[in-house]
Amino acid sequence: MKKLLMSAALTAICATGAQAEIRVGVLHSLSGTMAISETTLRDVMLMLIEQQNANGGLLGEEIVPVVVDPASDWPLFAERARELLTVHEVDVIFGAWTSVSRKSVLPVIEELNGLMFYPVQYEGEESSRNVFYTGAAPNQQAIPAVDYFLEELGVETFALLGTDYVYPRTTNRILEQYLLDAGIPQENIFVNYTPFGHSDWSSIVSDVTALGEGGQQVGVISTINGDANVGFYSELAAQGVTADEIPVVAFSVGEEELAGLDTGPLVGHLAAWNYFQSADTPENEAFISSWHEFIGDENRPTNDPMEAHYIGFNMWVQAVEAAGTTDVDAVREAMYGLEVPNLTGGTAVMLPNHHLAKPVLIGEIEADGQFTIISQTDPVPGDAWTDFLPESAVLTSDWPGLECGMYNTETETCVQIQSNY
Amino acid sequence: MRMRARFDGPASHFDDPTGIPMKSVFFAALLALAGLLSPAMAQSDGDPLQQVLNENRELIVDASRRTVQGALDALLASELPEVPAFLQLWQAREIYVRDSDGLFVTVEDEDADPLTLIDLTTGEALGTATSREVTHLRPNRGVQNVIGASLVLFQLNAEDPAVRAGALAAIARTPDESHLPLIRERIEVEDDPDLRDQLEALLVRLTVAFAEDDETRVAAIESLAGSISVEARGILNPLLATTRAVAMELPEDRNIARVLTPGSDELPTDEAYGLLVSENLAPPRVTRAGIRDALIANIDDGFVAGVPVHTLDSDEARLAAYMTLAEAGTVPPPVTDEQAQVILNSHVFFETYREPSGAVTSAAVQTLDGINRTVGVYETVDLTLDGLSLASIYFLAAIGLAITFGVMGVINMAHGEFIMMGAYTGYVVQTLVPDYTLSIAIALPLAFAITFGAGVAMERSVIRFLYKRPLETLLATFGISIALQQIVRQVFGAQARPFTAPDWLAGSLDFNDVVSISYIRVAIFGLGVIFFILLWLILNKTRLGLEVRAVTQNPAMAASMGINPDRINMLTFGLGSGIAGIAGVAIGLFAQVTPELGTNYIVQSFMTVVVGGVGNIFGTLAGAGMIGFFQKGVEWLNPSNTLAAQTYMILFVILFIQFRPKGIIALKGRAAGD
Repeated sequence: MKKLLMSAALTAICATGAQAEIRVGVLHSLSGTMAISETTLRDVMLMLIEQQNANGGLLGEEIVPVVVDPASDWPLFAERARELLTVHEVDVIFGAWTSVSRKSVLPVIEELNGLMFYPVQYEGEESSRNVFYTGAAPNQQAIPAVDYFLEELGVETFALLGTDYVYPRTTNRILEQYLLDAGIPQENIFVNYTPFGHSDWSSIVSDVTALGEGGQQVGVISTINGDANVGFYSELAAQGVTADEIPVVAFSVGEEELAGLDTGPLVGHLAAWNYFQSADTPENEAFISSWHEFIGDENRPTNDPMEAHYIGFNMWVQAVEAAGTTDVDAVREAMYGLEVPNLTGGTAVMLPNHHLAKPVLIGEIEADGQFTIISQTDPVPGDAWTDFLPESAVLTSDWPGLECGMYNTETETCVQIQSNY
Repeated sequence: MRMRARFDGPASHFDDPTGIPMKSVFFAALLALAGLLSPAMAQSDGDPLQQVLNENRELIVDASRRTVQGALDALLASELPEVPAFLQLWQAREIYVRDSDGLFVTVEDEDADPLTLIDLTTGEALGTATSREVTHLRPNRGVQNVIGASLVLFQLNAEDPAVRAGALAAIARTPDESHLPLIRERIEVEDDPDLRDQLEALLVRLTVAFAEDDETRVAAIESLAGSISVEARGILNPLLATTRAVAMELPEDRNIARVLTPGSDELPTDEAYGLLVSENLAPPRVTRAGIRDALIANIDDGFVAGVPVHTLDSDEARLAAYMTLAEAGTVPPPVTDEQAQVILNSHVFFETYREPSGAVTSAAVQTLDGINRTVGVYETVDLTLDGLSLASIYFLAAIGLAITFGVMGVINMAHGEFIMMGAYTGYVVQTLVPDYTLSIAIALPLAFAITFGAGVAMERSVIRFLYKRPLETLLATFGISIALQQIVRQVFGAQARPFTAPDWLAGSLDFNDVVSISYIRVAIFGLGVIFFILLWLILNKTRLGLEVRAVTQNPAMAASMGINPDRINMLTFGLGSGIAGIAGVAIGLFAQVTPELGTNYIVQSFMTVVVGGVGNIFGTLAGAGMIGFFQKGVEWLNPSNTLAAQTYMILFVILFIQFRPKGIIALKGRAAGD
């Protein structure tokens, strides 16, 4: 109750603080389990808006942030989105982290024709008219990481370990099919799901090491989420398994997560993202230093979803300037094909399927909680519908061309316009 | 899509042939121009090493495991004396490329800014550069291993045992026929006992894979008998890889693993027929979809084979129309089941080993059978150890509850939060006391004191008013548990806090390659045993224990005998909570210290106490043992879903309670109360 009052008060202050017309809604959980990750994104948004205002605002107006707190409560995301669009009349929303919270916002934002930027890597299989996905689709994170295992490390036996919820299950389903297509036999693919916060890893790690009895290189693809990683990596270390013998590539372990861990057991293991703080470019250096200045803490790391917001916000600003208005449909039209510099030394391009073309980076974990970038691909176009599951391989998304986010290329019909899947 | 290694620095387009062409052409032209003017380029022209490197620039800078061998071959073929040193630096990720002229250099200190560049041949300083003026070559692990394999020649006979060990590791990763004579030579002169063991293991492995004559190979295979290491199985299993094949007669010259009967479980009829089709030994069978496609292809003005399309609404009608087409010769005639059976019967299906030598495979089968039997036994032992360890964790988490719930009958939903408080005590102590061993020694009694205090405070302020009202107790303690979690989340944040075990608790106790258990689990097991004995002594051999038992059985009678039930209740509750705090320190060492730590254990703890039998620490022990072993058993049967194991366990507990409502060890007589 108190939280609700506080966030309401905060919104009221923000909403009445200035008489500007351009309002940016920030829909990130500031309390509850997701607060740890999402508060950082709220801060990034406030920083980007502050910078933009310092540079003269947008279309001659000042940008006003409207921050609401959906409190890690998925249905509340829909309520808060409705509030942002109808009460505060924001021009754009930056927000959500978990897939379930995004799914909860979709009907509202499509009904009211809002505009949202979603900054987190996710399982794909979605393309809404009103959402721009600035995080990675599976082909921009998972598939290149598996390719790296196959090509560079010569892995022939795979263990797909994940936490039991929608992102790992969908991603692993895609990866399993991808590996089968790549000629890895079914018996060389070991899949395991564990509950959130799992800690009893000894038998699972034993199972993984026993995969080596076929005489082939074993590799682990980890979609293990959050705190369970601590136990997993410690158990690997306890059983004397080094990154040399069994490499682990993780899709949910970034700088922010490593900040709370004893990184000793993790050194040498891998992570795949579109951004690492260690990227050595002038853009990234400027971003990191302004972030440290804004947050007042030299030790706060930057991470991949922060870069996604950086790209998304800059793209939105450019689109608004090009359209000359913040009207959602005009901005949406102006978004396609826009290019903005990303922080890893290239440019991100907005595609007709509302996803970005971004490079994929693979980093090795260092003892100081940072990553050594050992591989960087050319920009990979994000694929809304994966090509590796038969039911979604025939689907494509092309909003400017086909006015459809779920278009069946075989029957040449639009399956549905709204995203109620 | 091919992974391309690209490296930091804005000028990396220069080395990137798939980068934006216009830009890179421009860049290259610019750089070539800069190169002509630069004195360093002239220097590199004269340097043979730089010349070889320059010729293979793309393979080296964009190194990939699959292509780097070309560059390595060129480097080795140059026979320059600097090559081994260069390869070592490259493998260790200490090679840089100066972007201005493309010179390959190394640096004095990787972390310095600006970097001091060192010439590879002369070792002289070449001036400085910032990290963005050079490209740092970071070969990935796959490339590092290939480089390592080329270094074997230089490193196998090195003075430094560590270098020799590196060479052996490289051979182990990428064994090759050419390594066999090298190993045979080295083993004669090696004097380091550890390396000698490694060499012998490698010799066996290489002999099995690459030796010329079967007798040596069979002898090497037989020498592996009794070895249960994953490596030994990794040597033998690839020998027994099979492929399926079919022929008119069993071929004499192939190494046949076994003959398969079509229609059996290993080879269903459809699969066998499919094999024939893929070998072009039989015509493909017509499927439902095939019939449909053939009919659609032959639609002629609304008719197929003289039949109107709209009548083709059943399988029979479609088959009939297809047969008409087949008779007319438009489509191939379908293969009937009888025909298929005849074709199947006239062929023989079999599996052949990829390994051509029958003597080798039969020796491998025999040795592997023996190994697998032993491994099976040890796996059971390992599973038992895992179960024992899980049981001890559950026991430790539940033993405090066995007192508060089991003996006193208080349903304390905040028990898990006492465990969590213990873990956070450990974390806080560790931030203040950097020595891990000392900090745990301090944390254990401190956690007891803190949670004892918290337990007493809770008992005094809430629970004592609710002794006869279990439902209210449940709600009140549940509220307290949520409040405690929120407070911790506010103070320490939602993220896991690092609470690290000292070095002597890291690693594991390895009995052999199969049976091993981490030391931390051994320690938890030990702690569980200590607490079991301690608690048993307190409850059965001390005055306090006597009074506790008296008060819980009949408070009124105990009071009239001069025991203060209030005081006893308070102390008992404190004792139970304090033990939860100590369990928290132990659990925090192997699990993750988060505000939700307690919630993960509260359900298991209640189950343990209920299954074991209320009011008895022997019961708790039995309950923890049963639940721990049951869960490990289900995990073993269904290794792909750990969550399922927990679901089955809860189902099992519900069933068990139906048959033994009082648990495994039920109290009898007056002690049982009602």
